[in-house]
Amino acid sequence: MLTDEQLLKYSRQIMLPQIDIAGQEALLNSHLLIIGLGGLGAPVAMYLAAAGVGELTLIDDDKVDLSNLQRQIIHQFESIGKDKVESAKITALSLNPETRINIINYRPGEEEMSTLIEQANVVIDCCDNFSTRFMLNRICHNYRVPLVSGAAIRWEGQLSTYTYEQGTPCYRCLYEEDAFNDQTCTQNGVVAPLVGVIGSMQAMEAIKLISGTGHTVTGRLMLFDGMDMSWREIRFKPRPACPVCS
Amino acid sequence: MVKVIFTENLKRHIDCPPCEVEAASVAEALAKVFAAHPRLGSYILDDQGGLRKHVMVTVDNNLILDRESLSDPLDQNSEVYVLQALSGG
Ligand SMILES: [Zn+2]
Repeated sequence: MLTDEQLLKYSRQIMLPQIDIAGQEALLNSHLLIIGLGGLGAPVAMYLAAAGVGELTLIDDDKVDLSNLQRQIIHQFESIGKDKVESAKITALSLNPETRINIINYRPGEEEMSTLIEQANVVIDCCDNFSTRFMLNRICHNYRVPLVSGAAIRWEGQLSTYTYEQGTPCYRCLYEEDAFNDQTCTQNGVVAPLVGVIGSMQAMEAIKLISGTGHTVTGRLMLFDGMDMSWREIRFKPRPACPVCS
Repeated sequence: MVKVIFTENLKRHIDCPPCEVEAASVAEALAKVFAAHPRLGSYILDDQGGLRKHVMVTVDNNLILDRESLSDPLDQNSEVYVLQALSGG
């Protein structure tokens, strides 16, 4: 049952017939995992806390650095030197004090990550390296927990969602495993609002998954080019020889 | 003519202007482009002529199925798009 305060707080979302009271209750009862509290994780955590996701688990082993603040808008000047998850928790709670927030300030191994993912409704991949991305896909496929995957660098972003339903592809169907080719924003640069564009869309996908409305970008890879302000949509199918899902 | 386009991201590493070629398969289209841009070829393809792991190719916005010999067929006006996996966050 929503309280009067909750009815008011989430009224602009509840008035959408696709969300309504039932969708808002689903959000309040949901538990989402956010991997990475950098450029993408910042808008994801802020939007999901504000939108009324009941429980968030934030995972990141990094600390806030001055050079992060240009784009990682969940972190504030006073948070420099703090754990990113701690800093993100403070901002998320200032947006919505009723969010339950768990923080993990190290990189969990595959076994621990499996335990965490098994307990989550949706995983949102905002990390900065391929080895974590492939690991999250393996575990999410194993437990059939939907994975919303975003990536961004320089002026370009990519977004896709994996629901692991029959006949839908996984992350490994799209990308060959190659951990040696990470291009980081630290080394290559990134224009500030790019991570906001992709991260906001990841939050949107998560809200749709939890409230059971609309169509996610499953089987589609959305490519954003900030220089041309253009989107391209690529369709892909399960790969017959995929080592994860075939 | 088949259009061959490269993602913005690749342009940072290597010169890769959009090209127009006559070709019936992805392999044929890329071979013609790489004949004029050999450095680009070795960035996209491995020694066996398959796609390098971080590279993806689409035909008319559908991911190609054959990463090894690039046998996916093309129509006369197909668009071949070459892109790169991103991991930044
Ligand atoms: Zn797969």
